[in-house]
Amino acid sequence: MSGLRNNFASVLHRIGLRDPNLIVLVGDISHYRLQPFAKDCPGRYYNIGICEPTIVNMAAGLSKVGFYPVVHTISPFIVERSFEQLKLDFCYQELGGNIMTAGSAFDYAYLGCTHHCYNDFGLLKTLPGTQLFYPCSETELECLFSQVYQLKALNYFRLPMFEHGISIEREKIIPGKGIMISQGKDVTLVAIGTQLKSAYASLSLLHKRGLSADLIYIHTLKPLDDALITSSLERTRKGIVIEEHGIYANAFDDILRVSYRITDLRLSSVSIPHRFLRDYGSYQEYCQRLGFSAEGITHKVLNELFDGTL
Amino acid sequence: MNKDLRRKIIEVIYEAGEGHITSSLSIIDIIAFLYDKVLKFDPQNPSWEERDYFVLSKGHGCVALYIILQKYGFISEKDLKTKSSASGILGGHPDCTKVPGVEASTGSLGHGIATALGIALGLRIRNKNNKVIVLIGDGESNEGAIWECALVAAHLKLGNLCCIVDNNGSAGQVLPVCAMEQKWISFGWETYSTDGHCIADIESIFQRVSFDQRAKPKVVIANTIKGKGVSFMEGHGPWHAKIPTQEEYGRAIEELAS
Repeated sequence: MSGLRNNFASVLHRIGLRDPNLIVLVGDISHYRLQPFAKDCPGRYYNIGICEPTIVNMAAGLSKVGFYPVVHTISPFIVERSFEQLKLDFCYQELGGNIMTAGSAFDYAYLGCTHHCYNDFGLLKTLPGTQLFYPCSETELECLFSQVYQLKALNYFRLPMFEHGISIEREKIIPGKGIMISQGKDVTLVAIGTQLKSAYASLSLLHKRGLSADLIYIHTLKPLDDALITSSLERTRKGIVIEEHGIYANAFDDILRVSYRITDLRLSSVSIPHRFLRDYGSYQEYCQRLGFSAEGITHKVLNELFDGTL
Repeated sequence: MNKDLRRKIIEVIYEAGEGHITSSLSIIDIIAFLYDKVLKFDPQNPSWEERDYFVLSKGHGCVALYIILQKYGFISEKDLKTKSSASGILGGHPDCTKVPGVEASTGSLGHGIATALGIALGLRIRNKNNKVIVLIGDGESNEGAIWECALVAAHLKLGNLCCIVDNNGSAGQVLPVCAMEQKWISFGWETYSTDGHCIADIESIFQRVSFDQRAKPKVVIANTIKGKGVSFMEGHGPWHAKIPTQEEYGRAIEELAS
């Protein structure tokens, strides 16, 4: 299990020590991890219970009297069960707040579909006033969170179990800005969140086939860094989006919307098929099955963008 | 019986061609009393930090609130006249981003109480003594969210929170909430019951309701009549969202004039 599930509590602790308006509400998970926050920020930590819509709605009330609430529990129970509370109590009323989930996409592969959440970004981007983040290291979380948690927006942080493992300088981590990890000329790889790991690993496989790639890392899904992505696609005319998200309202859709005027553009994606992922197993096994691997990405690039000619 | 306020509710809804007359008539006495005797507020500074908070969770009864907000100067007569029009700020459910004095945008039932709960918790953390009062309906009490909040508020001992239930019998039309008082008692709330149209009774209850920061939350079951004050609208007939004809409007106004 990763860092982030363990370390998000340290991030909140550090920020909570210096900001008396940061308050944390959880739905009976991560209780022990958050005890340092509870101890050092008295009166600002609540394990409310298993009643997610009420937790989200309460958080909006806390926001109304000047707190910066963080709601934390398992993704589908916030995003899907409590969607109306996010929509009406935060977004419609223009109140700021922060959602930090556990269990990104199919992280909980072994627990079954009740604990999966593949369409969170797609759902939440429909709400005016949301900002969507997918930090994949403690540094990224701290940089992104500290820059936005006080804003009058609903900030959503999808916290994955597994980090991408690529070191990124702190000063490059800016909300709404993608990061050019490597530059090439033949194809653009847009890696969303955790999938930076497999996209990065695919660079050498592509290189062996004579291809060099722009590799763009995206940690902010909304607002998306359209300019960075389209400027790369204008050069390469070939792109692939790698994202642990369902096929509807995903980053691929957003990128297509801003790049469809580019002449002779070919765009592909590795994403989660439109079905319940009923099999059990591990996160890593799911990645292999669904093509979230260096080999899977390379295969798609060669076959869908270069017609298998290389 | 606040006949003048009742007349105004019917006038505003008749002119707008949209609204919930009977739901507004069942809560107008309670809201009028709260603004007259209980709540601290400043119409010139609706966001005044020392104000008390009133959240109308059953948002469809909002015309009763609009009338009171106009009475105290939060909004204007012109606002009432432009209700539900493209140029107006008042809609069929209240929008707190538009209407001064409205604390929460409600309409989807079961939300206002949790917002109030969060406000009450936040105020207590800041050691503030502002009162927080939320008004829900008995029909709204079909929502599971109401009972999640009942559980959480009692567990957190939010004594600065008072919930008023407009117990006008709407739930009984479909899914009755039986033994309302016993339910709230069993959830750990300090429970009161009153005639929701008798100002003297309401006042005597609120003389006993304390808003101590750390105590049992309070609930006042206000037994009311939907459409109270207009004989042919009272009860649970077709009047939930019906707009009167010119003739019916005349009869209602005449009844409230006498």
